[in-house]
Amino acid sequence: MPGSDEVRLSAPATTELPRLARLTASGLACRLGFSYDEVEDLRLAIDELCFSLIGTQGRPGVVHLMFSLDDETLQVEGTLESGERGPDPVHSGLSRKILEALVDEHEVRRNGQDQLTFWMRKRRLPIAG
Amino acid sequence: MGVDNAQREELRQKFVALAESGDPAIRRELVEAHLGLAEYLARRFSHRGEPVDDLVQVSSMALLKAVDRFDPGRGVEFSTYATHTIAGELKRHFRDKGWAVRAPRRMQELYLTLGDSIGRLSQELGRSPTIAELAAETRVSEEEVLEALEAGQAYRLASLDAPAPGEDEGETLASHLGDEDPRMSAAEERATLSPLIEALPPRQQLILHLRFFEGLTQLEIAGRLGISQMHVSRLLARSLAELRTAAEQG
Repeated sequence: MPGSDEVRLSAPATTELPRLARLTASGLACRLGFSYDEVEDLRLAIDELCFSLIGTQGRPGVVHLMFSLDDETLQVEGTLESGERGPDPVHSGLSRKILEALVDEHEVRRNGQDQLTFWMRKRRLPIAG
Repeated sequence: MGVDNAQREELRQKFVALAESGDPAIRRELVEAHLGLAEYLARRFSHRGEPVDDLVQVSSMALLKAVDRFDPGRGVEFSTYATHTIAGELKRHFRDKGWAVRAPRRMQELYLTLGDSIGRLSQELGRSPTIAELAAETRVSEEEVLEALEAGQAYRLASLDAPAPGEDEGETLASHLGDEDPRMSAAEERATLSPLIEALPPRQQLILHLRFFEGLTQLEIAGRLGISQMHVSRLLARSLAELRTAAEQG
């Protein structure tokens, strides 16, 4: 991806993960000039997506996060590697509806036997005035 | 509070009249006559890192309670009684409505300052401010703004669900939407997607509905409901956290 930056983080799939992901995502969004409204939406989306992988209590395993950004778009991918076939990702109809309002695109899927993955993309609106 | 004997006697007579008649006009007059005391006491607690407006609201509610409960026959000055009642409510407010997780004091204060700045800048700019604009306005770094927003996640107000001043206490999602709302399909969709939403307090249901089913931004919801955008953010974050917990338990 020419002209883009990438940040990669790996962390245990514990309840601390959403905070780490929120902080990183909002820091990068800030570099792209996201508004407060957009940053708050992003933070909510990250919480919802982390939940889809590790629930509210965390799971055994490691989550690899990859943040990539270009001029106006932030993409975040998270993969839970559990080393065993765990439960399916949590991605209810309500969760989908919530994420549709918060980000431009998203996906949550099982990725092989022992991996769950989420992906999202959020583009900042042009700044008026 | 600079009340002379004649005024004091006049007030006392009004309390006697209120006790006898329960006349709402007298009640309102007595409340208005003591709003200055409520505000004065609220400001005495303002160094503790809560917005003065919130404190004035707490003390004004306590004043209402004091006016309703005061017994003029007991020989105690109302101002003495009200001061005791209001200070008690303010202390309770700080005890009950603090930070769920201890955040550094500077971050707590910055979070509260940011609430004001977001409101002011949104109005000035006609859009949601960027983090850089917020940092410039509050004279801190962008990282500090983000850290304060993160710290704000730990901030909980037990009065989160309470209606703001002037709002109808009985307001529900249905009453807000109205029977003739052409987009009832959104409400139906919401009910189908998750009965869990119905378990949330009406105010949280309403905000979830406006954000996720009607597509309003946080800023627009804040404007529509007459509350701060930060308050909308907190209510949304809390509602989603509750839904996630409920989904796991269900």
